[in-house]
Amino acid sequence: MSQLIISVGREFGSGGRVIAEALAERFGIPVYDRHLITDIAAKTHLTPEEVEKYNEAPKPHIISRRVRGFSNSIEDNIAEMQFNFIREKAESGESFVVVGRCSESKLRDFKCLVSLFILGDMDAKIKRVMEVYELNEADAKELIEKKDKKRKRYHNYHISLHWGDSRLYDLCINSSRLGIDGTVDALEKYIRARVENMEKE
Amino acid sequence: MTAQIFAVIIFVLMFLLIVMDKIERHYVTLGCGALTLVVVFGICMRSGRAIWDTLAIKGFATKEFWYQVTESESKGINWATILFIAGMMVMVEGMAKAGFFRWLCMKIAFMVKCKTIPVFITFMIMAAVLSMFIDSITVIMFLAAVTIELAALLKFNPIPMILAEIFCANLGGSATMCGDPPNIIVGTSLGLSFFDFLTNTGVIAGVCLIISVVFFYFAFRKELVSASGEAPDMSKFPKPSEAITNKKDFIVSSIIFGLAVILLITHGSTHLTVASIGLFIALITIIANGKDSIELLKKIDYKTLLFFIGLFIVVGGLEETGILKLIADFIGKISGGNVFLMIGIILWISAIASAFVDNIPFAATMVPVIESLSATSGVDLHTLAWSLSIGTDIGGSATPIGASANVVGTSVAAKNGYPVSWGRYCAKLAPATIIVLTISTIYIFVRYL
Repeated sequence: MSQLIISVGREFGSGGRVIAEALAERFGIPVYDRHLITDIAAKTHLTPEEVEKYNEAPKPHIISRRVRGFSNSIEDNIAEMQFNFIREKAESGESFVVVGRCSESKLRDFKCLVSLFILGDMDAKIKRVMEVYELNEADAKELIEKKDKKRKRYHNYHISLHWGDSRLYDLCINSSRLGIDGTVDALEKYIRARVENMEKE
Repeated sequence: MTAQIFAVIIFVLMFLLIVMDKIERHYVTLGCGALTLVVVFGICMRSGRAIWDTLAIKGFATKEFWYQVTESESKGINWATILFIAGMMVMVEGMAKAGFFRWLCMKIAFMVKCKTIPVFITFMIMAAVLSMFIDSITVIMFLAAVTIELAALLKFNPIPMILAEIFCANLGGSATMCGDPPNIIVGTSLGLSFFDFLTNTGVIAGVCLIISVVFFYFAFRKELVSASGEAPDMSKFPKPSEAITNKKDFIVSSIIFGLAVILLITHGSTHLTVASIGLFIALITIIANGKDSIELLKKIDYKTLLFFIGLFIVVGGLEETGILKLIADFIGKISGGNVFLMIGIILWISAIASAFVDNIPFAATMVPVIESLSATSGVDLHTLAWSLSIGTDIGGSATPIGASANVVGTSVAAKNGYPVSWGRYCAKLAPATIIVLTISTIYIFVRYL
C-alpha cells in the first residue's frame, strides 16, 4: 500500500478517538494522539500532564503576544511543535492516523490524506460520556460543551475555516447512526475505495 | 466634541484589536489611521490642514528633516523614526547574512573559555551593549539561539540565561536614542540627540546594568551549575570563524556597522538627523551588497514600518482634537504642581502600562502629553522625556509580553524545548524591573530636581 494518512477530527463523546484507533488497526498503521503529548513532553522538559494542560488549547489572548511570527504563549509553541511533528511524519512517507491537531488543514497538500470528521447526536454523546467518565447526565453534558468549545477555539485560531465545517473534510459522519463498529466499517470501505483511487492515479 | 469622542473610540479600538491579536497589527493601525483621517479630520473637523499636518509629507522637503542645527519638534507621522528604523533594518539584515551576530556570540563564549558563569555575565553585558545600537529583537534572536546551543553542550538550563539577556537587552535599549523604538520616537519628536540620551538615560542604564548583573548572578547562580560539573571540552564547540558565511561580506558589514555607530555618536555635532543616517546606512548597505541587496530588501519587516505609519496617524487624531492636552492637564492637576509626583507618575505609569501593552503606541501617545505638561507646569521637558523613556523601555521587562525581545526570547526558548510560563518569567524579572525602576526614579530625583 502506498502512503496513507487518515486525519480524524471529532466532537467530544462521538467516539472519534476509538474510531481512529480501530481504523489504525484495520490498516495496520500507527495512530498519533497520545504520542503527540508524550513526544512533546520528552522534547520540552515538561511532564506529560503539563503538556496535556496546553494540548489542543486556545492561547489566552490577554496574556499572549506575537512578534514577527514568535509567540510567548506555551499553547502556541506546543501546537506548532505538534504541527511540525505530524508534518515531518507525513514528509517522511510514513502512513498513520492522526487525531485532531488541525491535521485536516495542516496536511491538506498531501494527496494521500483522507480527512474525516466524526460527530454525534447530543443524547448519544451524553450516554457515552456518562459511561466512559462515570458522570451524571448534567455533568456529562457540561463536559461535552466545555471540551468542544475548547477544540473549536483552538482550531479556529489556527485555521481560517471553522471546526466541523463540512468543506474542510472529505467525509463527515454521525457515529450515532451506525454505532461505533458500524461507523468504522463504513469508513474502512470508504478509505479502501480512496486508496484504490490513489493507486490508480 | 464629536471629533474628540471619535478620536478616543478609534484609539481604544486600535489598542483592543492589537491586544486581541486576531488581525495583524499593521492592518489594525492602518485601518484605524484611515478612520482617523476620514471620520475625525474629514467628517467631524472638516479640516484639510489637520490631515496635511498629520501626514507630514511636506517635512521631507525641509532642510531640518535631513540636517538640523537647532532642536525642532515634529507632529503627525514621525517619518524620521520610520526612515531610521528602515535603514537600520537593512544594515542588520546585511550583518546577519554575513554571520556577524553568531560570530560575535561564539567569539565571546570562546574568550571566556565557554565557562558557564563567565558566559552568563558576558552575554548579559553583550545584550545590553548591542541593544544600544541594534534592535533588541535581532540581538535576542541570535543570543538566545547561541545560548541554547551552549546549554546543550555545557548541560545547563538555558532559561535563566535567556531571561537575564532579555532584561539586559531592554536595559541597553534605554541607554541610547536608537536603542528602543520609544526612544527614537521621543528623540525625533523632541529634537534630542544620541549624545543627549547617552549622557542621561545612558548613565542610568549603566548604573542599573551593574546592579542587574549582580542581581541575576545571585538569582540564577544555582540553576546555572553545569550538570556534568566538568571543565568544558572546547574542541566540541563550533569555532567562531565557522559562523562567517562570507569573509568579504563580514568585513563590509562590520565596517558599515562601525560607521553607523560613529555617525550616531557624532550626529549632535555633524547635525545629520537620524533620518539622514538611516537613509545613508541603507544606501551603502545596498550598494555594498550589489545583486544580493534585493534579498536584503525582501527581508525588511515592512509590517512594522506600516504599523508605525498607522499608529502615528491615530495618535495624531488624539493630538489634533486636544485629547492629549486634556490628559496632560489631568496629570498636572492630580500631581498638584508637585514635580516629584509628576515625574513619578510619568515614569511608573509608563512602566506599568508598558509591562502589559506595546510600549511603542504608549510612547507615541505620551510624547505630546509631556510636551503639553511641560508647557503648562514649567517642569523641564528633558527631565520628563528621560522619565518617559526609562519607564517605557524598562517597564516592558516585567512580563513576557511587555516588550518584543521578551516575546522573541521566550519563543526561541520554547521552540527549543524550554517553554517559559508567566510565573517562571515574572518570578525573577518582575522584582528586577521594580529594583531598576526604583533606582532610576531616585537617580532622576537627585540629578534633575
